[in-house]
Amino acid sequence: MVAAVAVLLALPALIGALPASDAGTSAPDLRDRALASSDVAFTGYAQAAGGLTLPVGDQLTSVADLLSDRTTMRAWYRAPDDWRVDVVSATGETGVHRDASGTWTWRYEDDVASRAAALPLSLPTAPDLLPSVLGRRLLSEAADGELSRLGAERVAGRDALGLRITPSDAAASVSRVDVWVDAESGIPLGVQVSGGQTGGGEPAVDTSFLSLDLVTPAASVTAFTPPPGADVRRDQQQADLLDTGRQYAAVQLPATLAGLPGRAVDGTPGAVGVYGRGVTLLAVSVLPGRAASPLRDTLVVAPGAVVDDLGVRIAAGPLGLMLVDNGNRGTWLLAGTVDLDALATAAAELPAPPRRGDR
Amino acid sequence: MIAVELSKMFRRPRTWVTIGLLNGLPVLVAVLLALTDLAPRPGEGPPFLSAVLTNGTLYPLAALAIVLPLFLPIAVALIAGDAVAGEAQAGTLRYLLARPAGRTRLLVAKLVSVFAFVLVTVLVVAAVGYLVGQVFFEVQPLGGTALSGTSLTPAQIAGRTVLSIGYVTVSMLGVAAFALFFSTLTDSPLAAMIGALAVLIASSLLFTLDAASSIAPYLPTRYWLAFVDFFRDPILWRDIVRGLALQAVYVAVLLGAAWANFATKDITS
Repeated sequence: MVAAVAVLLALPALIGALPASDAGTSAPDLRDRALASSDVAFTGYAQAAGGLTLPVGDQLTSVADLLSDRTTMRAWYRAPDDWRVDVVSATGETGVHRDASGTWTWRYEDDVASRAAALPLSLPTAPDLLPSVLGRRLLSEAADGELSRLGAERVAGRDALGLRITPSDAAASVSRVDVWVDAESGIPLGVQVSGGQTGGGEPAVDTSFLSLDLVTPAASVTAFTPPPGADVRRDQQQADLLDTGRQYAAVQLPATLAGLPGRAVDGTPGAVGVYGRGVTLLAVSVLPGRAASPLRDTLVVAPGAVVDDLGVRIAAGPLGLMLVDNGNRGTWLLAGTVDLDALATAAAELPAPPRRGDR
Repeated sequence: MIAVELSKMFRRPRTWVTIGLLNGLPVLVAVLLALTDLAPRPGEGPPFLSAVLTNGTLYPLAALAIVLPLFLPIAVALIAGDAVAGEAQAGTLRYLLARPAGRTRLLVAKLVSVFAFVLVTVLVVAAVGYLVGQVFFEVQPLGGTALSGTSLTPAQIAGRTVLSIGYVTVSMLGVAAFALFFSTLTDSPLAAMIGALAVLIASSLLFTLDAASSIAPYLPTRYWLAFVDFFRDPILWRDIVRGLALQAVYVAVLLGAAWANFATKDITS
């Protein structure tokens, strides 16, 4: 009897420890397989846990929650422009439905369906934390020299081959990224991002599939029609971003910042710049005064914030955030996976934003 | 013997007073909502309560969600905790066992009557919720909206409501098993009831702790709210299946322990 109970209790641990078979795939080959998996349809259930406390107060709460909470997601993926991700909570859910021209976001809590066009640059949302999406994004620009193999593990009950990215940029704040790639399909099944002072060696972001089936979901599952009676809107955050960009369109951003090369992102407004490569990225944007001052007030009093002549900067795990004040000429917001020294260097290289009227 | 226990249970005024009190809160909430027109925002307050102002057919679910966290387990623990310990305290247990029926049959009879109480209680709460929903709120013949933003037909809503009622009943069987097990351990029905409630309160508290996440899948209250998942589209079976399996294990183990304990116990009162 005691032995039977002991065997039963040990069963989950034993199954978890079952050795996953490790194929002799090289690291660059495994990266290529993962990147080629964007056409593989699947149905899955994933959980992401963020250990980052973003001191942004009432601003950007959706982004802050995403990076500090546990997010449970159901995913149906048919093609890169035909998928659906539902963030499931105990009593509600938020569903993002992607179609050819953009996304519908349905928030049950608010009874709101909002439509956003597909943009190359937008604030992170829950679908970006899906292991398949995050893994492919982080691997997409990893150089061969930054990659190493990690052996194999079982993720979502499947054999997953480990791949580690160790960024080579001096400015990098991410110390390593571990991606677990499905041996059968190449879909990234789990991603752990580590770096910064998260303490205890815990990853700053840890996302994994708990179950994954390589079956193509029905088209009716990913499609979306706003339900009768729902409030239908255009995405306001996106509109704000574009609006701000147009106001400051005349600004000239430097070609490199803190040694990171600028990158061309189609369709971004003029006053938004993105620098860097791979997992070391820095985004720069002008913030209008009404958005900047509450954010600055929160940042200045946050523990660990560095306040000096350049502005205020703070690190949350591998994520760095900085505000550079230019009096009444607007404020630069710098955010990215770079360390605080790189943020300070970048701040010194930025020009003052033009006055609002200078177009 | 089963028939005797059943009729004894349902002839007791206490049983019906318990069920009646249990329905008081959902009815009060419905009256207040209807008078003030102030529903909680979706996602806040008990599940489904936000939707009842526009669709009264969802009120049975809202009523169940209102009583599920506390009142329903208290009622079930009260009746199940009393099953054996109540007889012992009243001094009637040894007379019951003097009949040539055997202890196992008595325990099975008690078990059946407790399970019958759970089922009747959940059904009454749902039925009263249905009546209240029809009387106080607008009833949409068109169906309603699932959590996922898709439309459900009235038949789908009815079907999923029945599944939810079944799921809540199974969740309550776990509570009944705890209370019945404790009831065979002690001669005090109060101690048995408090014991079962202590387990549930400890479980609810541990569930909110990140530090206890490794044992969370085994907590008896972990999957109670999973009946909400019937109203996602497609239905999210994952937690529902786990919840049913978990309750089945608790019920089997605790009833086995209750039987082993009761069959070998010295009856002194």
